[in-house]
Amino acid sequence: MSNLLAMARRIIHQILRDKRTLALLIIAPLLILTLVWYIFGAKTSEPNLAIINYQNSDLLPAFKASDYQRMSPLEAHQALADKKIDAYVDLKNPVKVHLEGSDPSRNGLAMNKIQKSMQKVQQISITKMQTQLKSVIQNQQKAIQAQQQIMKQMTIAMQQYAPSILIAIQQQAPKPEQPAKMQAPEKVSLDVSYLHGNDSLNTFDAFGPAMVGIFVFLFIFMIGGVSFLRERTTGTLDRLMASPIKNYQIIWGYMIGFGLFVIVQSFILTCYLVYVLKIYNVGSIADVLIIVFILSFSALSLSILLSTAAKNELQMFQFIPLVIVPQVFLSGLFPIDTLPRWVQMIGNLMPIHYSTEALRNIMIRGTGFAGWWLDGLVLIIFSLVFITLNIFTIRASRPLA
Amino acid sequence: MTYPVKGEHLHKKFKKQIVLDDVSLTLREGEIYGLIGPSGAGKTTLVKILLGLEKADSGNVELFEQKPTLSAFRSLGYMAQSDALYNELSAYQNLEFFASIQGLRGKAKKQRILEVAKNVGLDQDLKKGVAQFSGGMRRRLSLAAALVHEPRLYLLDEPTVGLDPLIRRDIWTLFHFLRSKGATIIVTTHVMDEVSQCDRVGLLSDGHLIAEGSPKELTEQYNVETVEDVFLVKEGAKG
Repeated sequence: MSNLLAMARRIIHQILRDKRTLALLIIAPLLILTLVWYIFGAKTSEPNLAIINYQNSDLLPAFKASDYQRMSPLEAHQALADKKIDAYVDLKNPVKVHLEGSDPSRNGLAMNKIQKSMQKVQQISITKMQTQLKSVIQNQQKAIQAQQQIMKQMTIAMQQYAPSILIAIQQQAPKPEQPAKMQAPEKVSLDVSYLHGNDSLNTFDAFGPAMVGIFVFLFIFMIGGVSFLRERTTGTLDRLMASPIKNYQIIWGYMIGFGLFVIVQSFILTCYLVYVLKIYNVGSIADVLIIVFILSFSALSLSILLSTAAKNELQMFQFIPLVIVPQVFLSGLFPIDTLPRWVQMIGNLMPIHYSTEALRNIMIRGTGFAGWWLDGLVLIIFSLVFITLNIFTIRASRPLA
Repeated sequence: MTYPVKGEHLHKKFKKQIVLDDVSLTLREGEIYGLIGPSGAGKTTLVKILLGLEKADSGNVELFEQKPTLSAFRSLGYMAQSDALYNELSAYQNLEFFASIQGLRGKAKKQRILEVAKNVGLDQDLKKGVAQFSGGMRRRLSLAAALVHEPRLYLLDEPTVGLDPLIRRDIWTLFHFLRSKGATIIVTTHVMDEVSQCDRVGLLSDGHLIAEGSPKELTEQYNVETVEDVFLVKEGAKG
C-alpha cells in the first residue's frame, strides 16, 4: 500500500514540477473548447443573394430588397464568380436559381432562404388567383342580377296577362336555398414541442458532450503514454523492477497519481463548459464528472498499454491517428446509424462512443443514473481489461518475480 | 562463507546472436568483483540476468542462496547503465521515491537520503532539479539511489563512466568502505585502472567467461603486465 502511495506521490510531484504538462492538461482543452464554441455556437450567417430580371415581375414583393440585391444579369454573373454572392434568382418565367456551388453549407443556406421566398411567391400567386376568382364571381353575380331583373319584369307581365299559369309555375318552382357564405380558410400553424432540449439548442450543445470526451481522452492519452514510455526508455522501470515493488502497485500507482489530475481537469473543464460557455445541461454536474473521470481512466490505461509497443515519443504519437482520430469520427459527433455494420462494430469498441452517449443522456436528455450506468459500466470494463493487460505485460518482462 | 549471487551455465540468445554461452559465476560475500570486457561482450545482459530483469534461455540464478524473489530485491542495489532518474523531479525527490519503494519511512528515510547524498558529494545540490544536473552529477545521483536502502549486494553497471578522475577515486573509496561493512559489489567496467581495485575480476569476451581470478593471479598466470593483456593473449591463442 505504501509503495502504491509512493508511486502516486511521485507522479503528482512530476506533473506539478512540469509546468508545461500541467498547462497542457488543463489550459489547452479550455482554449480549444472555447474555439469550438465560437465555431459551432455562432449564429449561422445569412447567405448573400441577388435577383435579376425583376423589373416586370409580379413576384418582386416576395424578394425583399434587404435580403436580395437588385442586379443586372451581367452584374449578378460577375458577383457570383467573385464569390460576392452565394446565388442569384432569375425572376423570368420559369424562375431559375443560379448557385455559386463550391461550399455545400453555403448552398444549403442559400437554397433554404430562396425556398422560403418561393413559398411567398406561391402565396402571391394564390392571392392573385383569389382576386381573379372573385372578379369572375362578381361578374356572374351581376349577370344573374340582370336576369333576375328581367324575370321580375316578366312576372309582372304574366300577372297582367296569365295569372293562373303564373301561380302554377310558382308552386312547381323549387325553393331557393340561401347560398352558404364563403368562409375564410383557417390558418394552418405548426406547433413544435421538444421531448429533450429546446429550440435554442445549437450545434455546440449537441457536440459538447462528445468534445469533452475527446479532449479528456486525447490529453490524458498523450501525457500518460509518454510518461510511462519514459519510465522504460530512461531505465527507471528497470530500477523499479529491481526493487520489491509489485507489478500491480506500479500500474495502480499511475492510475492514482494521474487520477488526481484527472479529477481537477474534468472538474475545471465541466464547470467551464456549463457555467462559462453555458452549454445546455439539464443533468447533474456530479454525473458528468463521474463519466469524464471513468473515461480518463480508460484513456490512461490504454495509453500505458500502447506505450509498451512504442520505442520513443514519436512512435507513441503515431498512435494518435490510429486510436484517437477514428474515435472522433465514430464518437457520435456524426450520425453513424447509416454506416456499414462493421464500421458500427468498430465504433462499439471505442471508449469515447460510450462517454458521448452517457454525457448526452445526462446533459441533454436529463436522465439520471438509469440513463448512464450501462455506458459507465462499459467504460469501467474497458479500464479493467487494459489495467489487467498492463499488469501481465509488466509481469512478462519480470521473469523472476 | 555464503554466496550472495550464483549463476550456473547461463545461456542467452537474442534472435540469432549468442550473447552468453555457458557462463557460470559465483560471488563471495564481501568482495568487489569486476566484470570486464569490450563493449558488446554481454556484461549488461549478464548483470540483468543475475538480477532477474531478464530471463536466461537456460541455466540457474540464485540470489542469497535461494530462487530470486521480490523480497530479495530489498537487499539489492542496482545501478543501470543509463542514469534512470526522473528528470522532472529534484535530486531529493528522486532519492525520496527510491527510498520509499525500498521500504524506508519517516525520519530514517530522511537521514539516509542526506547520508548517501554526502557520500556521493551531492548534499549541496539536493534541491536542484535533475534536469539541471551535469552528466557526472546524474551518475552520482544514480549511484546514490542504488545505495539509499543500504543493500547487502550491489550490481553496478558502469558506475564511473563519464566521471572525472577525482570523483572516480572518491567513488572507489566509497566502494571499499561499503565492502568493509560487509557488502558484496559486482561492477562492470572497461576502465582498466579500476580493475586493480577489484578483489576478483571476470573477463567476458563474446559471451564466454574466458578467465577469472584476482588481478595479481591473472597477470602472473598469463605472464603479462596488465589484466588488459590477458585479452590479447587469449585472443592470440584463439587465432
